Parts: sequence; C-alpha cells; structure tokens
Amino acid sequence: MDALAEGMPMEGCATYGAPARDVIEIGGLYKRFGAVTALDGVDLTIRAGEFVAIMGPSGSGKTTLLNILSCLDTPSEGRYLLDGIETATLDGKAQAVVRREKIGLVFQQFHLIPYLSAVENVMLAQHYHSVADRDEAMAALERVGLGPRAQHLPSQLSGGEQQRACIARALINEPAIVLADEPTGNLDEKNEELVMALFQQLHAEGRTLVLVTHNPELGARTQRIIRLNHGRVEA
Amino acid sequence: MAVAEKPARRGRRGSMFATLLFKALLRRGGRAGVAAASIVVGAAVVAALMSLYLDISIKMSEELRAFGANFYVGPAVAGGERGIAEDTYAAVLREIPNDRMVGASPLLYGIVRLDLGPAVMAGVDFRGLRQISPYWQVEGSWVGVAFDERNAMIGRRLAESMELKVGDTVTVINRERTQNTRLIVKGIVDTGAAEDEQMFVNLSLAQKLLNLPGRVDFAMLSLIAQGPEADAMATRVNAGVPGVEAKPIRKISQSDGQILDKIEGLMALVALTILIITTLCVNATLSAMVAERTPEIGLQKALGAENRAIVSQFLAETALICVAAVAVGLILGFGLAQVLGQAVFNAWVTFRPAVVPLTLIVSLAAALIAAILPVRGAIGVVPARVLKGE
Repeated sequence: MDALAEGMPMEGCATYGAPARDVIEIGGLYKRFGAVTALDGVDLTIRAGEFVAIMGPSGSGKTTLLNILSCLDTPSEGRYLLDGIETATLDGKAQAVVRREKIGLVFQQFHLIPYLSAVENVMLAQHYHSVADRDEAMAALERVGLGPRAQHLPSQLSGGEQQRACIARALINEPAIVLADEPTGNLDEKNEELVMALFQQLHAEGRTLVLVTHNPELGARTQRIIRLNHGRVEA
Repeated sequence: MAVAEKPARRGRRGSMFATLLFKALLRRGGRAGVAAASIVVGAAVVAALMSLYLDISIKMSEELRAFGANFYVGPAVAGGERGIAEDTYAAVLREIPNDRMVGASPLLYGIVRLDLGPAVMAGVDFRGLRQISPYWQVEGSWVGVAFDERNAMIGRRLAESMELKVGDTVTVINRERTQNTRLIVKGIVDTGAAEDEQMFVNLSLAQKLLNLPGRVDFAMLSLIAQGPEADAMATRVNAGVPGVEAKPIRKISQSDGQILDKIEGLMALVALTILIITTLCVNATLSAMVAERTPEIGLQKALGAENRAIVSQFLAETALICVAAVAVGLILGFGLAQVLGQAVFNAWVTFRPAVVPLTLIVSLAAALIAAILPVRGAIGVVPARVLKGE
C-alpha cells in the first residue's frame, strides 16, 4: 500500500502548510419527497483533506444527503457548493460533468460491470472523464494491490478485491472528494480492515473522504463524525 | 463551470467504447441473437421482394408475352389500300430494337375451297406466329420451316367439320379454281377463338393461292414494352415507315401495367408488414436488454456518462446487430428471391447491387425506430435509485 504515496496525483488533496479550503459547503439544505421532509435545513462544511463520517439511524437522511453530495440528486431548497461550484441548480448534463470531474464514488455493492475486467472497469471511469489509458488504470490497480488481478472479471475477484477495484476506479480521475457509501457493508472483517486501512492511507495523503456508515467502530476511525437525525445535523 | 486541467492521458478515444460495445453484446449473446434473428428475417424478405421488384418489369413482360401479341401494324387508314407490301412489313421490323422484339408474323387472309367446302386461309410466318402465340394448343406439330409449302396447320373446329386428322392430306383450291395444292395437315390448332375455324399456310403459298404476291393484310408483333414505351415505339414506326399504322393493343398493354401495379403493391404491403413485425420483435428484445442492464446504466451515469453517451452506446449496439443481421439477410433474401422467381416467373432473378444499400437503409431505419422506446427507458434510469438496488 506504500505505493499509494508514490506518484498518485493529488489534485483533490489538501496542501500542507496552507489553510485548508472548503471542499463542501452546504447551507439551509432541504429535500422533500411530497409531504416527507428527508433533509430539514442541513448546514455543514467539509474542508479539503478531511476524513468525515456521516452517521445516523435508518431514515435519518444519510442516503438522501449522500445522493445530493454526489450530484445524483438535487435539493428542494438550499445551497450546495462543491469545490467552489454551485451544484444545487445544475441541470442533468452539468451534474454529470461534476460527477466525472469532481467526485469519486465507492459503493457498498461495488457496482463493477460484470463483463469488463478489473482494469477495464477502471478505464470506464477514464472513458467518461476524458480518454481511457490502460497504463494509468493498471498503475491505479497496482496501488491498491490488485495489479496481478487486473485482467480478472469481477466474478473472479473476492469481495475485498472488488471493493479495492472500486476504490481504484473512484480515484482514477483525481476527484476533489471521495464519497463512500457503506464501503465495508458487504465485506468480512479482514477485508473491512484492508479497505479502512486504505482509506486512512488516502486520508494521510491529504485526500478528502466522506464515509457514510452506520457502524460506530468505522466512524471512530475517521477524523470527524457528522450525525444526522430526522434530516437534521445533530449538534 | 470551471474544471481544472488534467494531465494528458495516453489512449485511443473510442477504443473503450468499442470494448464496451462488443463485450456488452457478447455478454447478452442470446438476446442480441433474438434481435438479430428478427432483423435477418425482415432483411431477407425486404431483399427478396426488392430484388423481385427491380427485376419484375422485365420478368413480367416476358411472362405476359404468353398472352399473345401486343402490337398491331396495318395499312394507314388514310391510304385506303388493302394491306401493306411485304417490303413495308420488313421496314417496320427494322424500326423495332432487337432487344424489344419477342416475335412477329405477317397475316394474309383469304377464302379458299377445301375438299368439303370453303374455308378461311391465313398466310403466316410460322416461326414468328409460334413466338407470338405461345398459348396455342397444337395436336401434331408446328410447321417449322419458313418456305415449307407442303404442310399446313388447321383449326380444331375446321378440322372436325372437314373430317381431317394430323397426317391427312387436304386439297386447297383457289377462288378462281385455277390452282390445286395438296397439303399435309401437320398440326391441329386449338385456341378457343377464331383461329379454330381457320387454316394456316406459309405466307408465300397464301400469296400464290390468293394471287396477292408481295402483300400482307397486317402484322401482329409481340414486344417487350408497356404503356408509354409501347406508344413511343408506335410513334417511331409511324414516323419511320410511311403508309402504315402501328399501335399497341391496349387490352394487353394495360393489363401488363395493372398486373404489375398490383403485384408491386402486394410486395410493398408484405414488406411493410414484415418490417412492422420485425420492429416490434426488436423493440421487445431491446426493451428486455435495457431492463436487464439498468444497474449498469445507473453506474455509467454515476461515473459521469451523459445521456448522449448512453444513447450512442445503445444505438451503436443496435446498428451493429443490424448490420450483421442484414449481411446474413441479404444472402438469404437473394436465395428467397430465386425461389420466388422460379415459382412465380419460372426465371432466375438477377442480382441488383442497389438491393444492398436499400435493404441496409430500410433495416437500419426499422431497427432504430425499434430502439427509440428502449433508449428512452435507458435515459430515464435514475442512478441514485438503481445503485441502491431499488
């Protein structure tokens, strides 16, 4: 994993010695689904280089907040600045641009395309971003320890390996922020540890990470916990 | 929106698109195969009918020639003469392009006496008469030599009334009773029309018996021409050979056109029906493919794929399936055209290069129309929902 420190592009990382800028600024954010208010005036800020956990019970609005943070959904009301870009009012096309340029997503179910090899899954993110570069994708897989398994299909990889391929894919376009939704939810203890160690290493390198989890032990391993309850950030 | 510059990547734009395209199709070989099979059927029918359509005018004209002559040449009404000179008839034939001529025969009619009574005799060119009268039923055989003055053919009813059989000898006496000619009945003709009451001899013999040397009454021709083309030929003959009136026989020429129109309309209807069925089959298959790939589409969108990229991918997959299917469909369609050509026209259908692009365009259009709703479904995928497994 030490290889991560070598040559990994750092666009989305905090610059040491300089005051950290805000990567995420949210103010007065509401999300309503008919009569149900899923997010009820959320205010929060996440600085570059922070490793933050968003926690809360079921129905607290974690998933809704994550969907908005990842530009997969738009708020009903409020302000969401991502790396200086006001995303709350973007149309679908502009949201897609923000997703590929600024956000790396890690999913609980990995979501690798089953008929593409690990390296091709990483190249897919490059393809939508700019152009697929096999060498760069191979290097990214090597950094997460998957070099020898790069040509394998997802079905030939273990859960931990699939999640590491997913992390390599999330990092390949050097996003401003990595958003991980229950990234260890489908992993055994050993792979959970492996993935968390990887996140901590990324954080140590200055990357901005947001982890959505219901697991307090994982939350405790982050820098800061944002607790949601009934769509509001707890004090 | 300001986006930071990224370091240049080394890679070929489009190579990942091609990988995605081929692997997605291979992954769903079964469904892609069903869509391809539908298009193969549609393309084969379209190619076959289009081959027939492009070939049918010639085949139909040849076929319709079986109904007899379709062109008349006789003396100009203004001239007031009986018939035309044999040389004039030869001049008329020179005005007709060889590739349009099926056959022609002059006719010279007169009354003669046979052993048991009078009869109508027609002097003809037997070789030409056989070409313009393929529907005649002949017992015995045709008179095959142009200068044969020893054999004759006789109509069925006349033969019965004169008690003549094939091989019998009949004596023909001219009107002035100055000349007796003995002829062998080589064939008995059954047409169901006036010919059944007539006797047929070579033109040269008829001219001698009727004392009309070098004359014919009129001529009947069978030409490969319909409608305006037949009119144009008549105009050309009338202008080129003075003293004659040439005209298409409307009944047959118009039948040509009407039958052609009906057959072409029927073919278009069959092709349209098959294309609609093909479109529905492809639509159903593509819809199932999109439904199956919803999580994949959601992921692609989450990775930043715009709707345009999703649309391009599905349309390219559809086009790829279509092109492969059309290649097979063209081969099968040409085979089907041969089967239809043999069954309907008793002739091989010529390969027309225009069939290839026309079939491809029609099939692509059908496949892309079929893809409209599935592609709209793909665009409508909400990644936040499908990635959560909803």
